[in-house]
Amino acid sequence: MDNENKPSGIDSLARNPLVVGLLIGILAALVQVLLISAGGPEAYGFCVACHTRDVVNIGVNALTGMKLAAAPISQNAVLPVMTVVGVLIGAFISAKTYDEFRAKTGSALSYLWYLLGGLFFMVFALFMGGCPYRIALRVGYGDAIAFIGLLGIIAGVLVGIRIATTIAEREV
Amino acid sequence: MAAGWLSKEIAVVAVPIVTIVLGILIGWLGQRSGFCSIGGFRDFFMFRHTRLLNGYLALIAGAFIGYLVFWLITPSAFEHFFWLLTSGFTPVPGAPAGLSPLAYVILAVIGGIAIGIIGVILGGCPLRQCVMTSEGSIKSLFFVIGMCIGSVVFTLWISGLVVAMLKGIA
Repeated sequence: MDNENKPSGIDSLARNPLVVGLLIGILAALVQVLLISAGGPEAYGFCVACHTRDVVNIGVNALTGMKLAAAPISQNAVLPVMTVVGVLIGAFISAKTYDEFRAKTGSALSYLWYLLGGLFFMVFALFMGGCPYRIALRVGYGDAIAFIGLLGIIAGVLVGIRIATTIAEREV
Repeated sequence: MAAGWLSKEIAVVAVPIVTIVLGILIGWLGQRSGFCSIGGFRDFFMFRHTRLLNGYLALIAGAFIGYLVFWLITPSAFEHFFWLLTSGFTPVPGAPAGLSPLAYVILAVIGGIAIGIIGVILGGCPLRQCVMTSEGSIKSLFFVIGMCIGSVVFTLWISGLVVAMLKGIA
C-alpha cells in the first residue's frame, strides 16, 4: 500500500464514512428533485435492493414478454434506474486505482450460501420496501413505518451476532 | 403531479444517465470508506466501534437535510414531505401495495429482522456486497446473483402470497 506516500485531501474525505453518508443522503434528495417528473416513488434516490429489482425485472420483461413489477420511474424512463450498475463500475475503478483489487475465491459450499443469502436478502428487503439504504432515506423523509423497519434491522443484527458467535464457538 | 427540475420528456431520458453517474460515485466512495449499514450496527454492538455507524446515521441526517433544503426550493418535487405529517402512519410506496398499517408494520419487522440476520452472517449489507464483488470477491458476486434471482422469485411467487396472507390476518 503506497497510499501513505501520497496523501490526498479528497481521498481522506472519501475514506470517512461520516462524509460519505452525508453526501449520499444529499445526493439522493438531489436525484429526486431532478428526476421526479419521470415518475415516483418518493425517497427513491438510492436503494440497492429496489434498484436491482427494477433492472432485473425490466430486463426479464424485455427478454420474455412477462410483466414483472418495477417502480414507475423505471417503467416510464427509456432505461431503468442504473444505480447498482454504477456502484459495481465505480467500486471497480476505485479498487483498481488504489491497487486494492484482489480476486478472492471460496468453496463451492460458500458460493451456495451466498447465493441463497442474496436471494433471501432480496426477498425480505422487498417485504419492507427497501434495503437499509432506502430505509434510511425513508426515515429522513418522515416515514414512521421505515423507522420501525430500522428497529427490526437492529434487532436482526443482534440476533445475527448471537448466531455468528454460536457458530464460531462451535468451530473452535 | 410531481414536478422536478427536469421536464418529463427530458427526465425519462436522464434517468439512466443520472442514476449511473450517482452509482459510480457511490461505488467509489463505498470502496474508499468501506461503508456498510448493517456493518455499522454490528461493529457497534460487538466492539463499540462507531466509525461505520456514524456513516449510516449521517446518511439519515444527510437525506433529511437534502429533502428539507430541496423541498424549500422546489416543493412540487417532494409532494408528501414530511411523510408522517402529510400521509400519517403509512409507508412511502415501494412495499406491496394496498395493505393496512398493521400489515406494513408486520412486513417491516419481519423484513428488517431477516435482513439484519443475513447481513451479519454474510458480512455485509447489499452495498458492501456489491463493492466487495468489484474488489474481486467471488462469494459476494454470488450474493449479487442471488439478489437478482430473489427479485424474480419475490415478484412472481412471494409478493402475491404475502399480500393475500396479510389481508387475511391484518
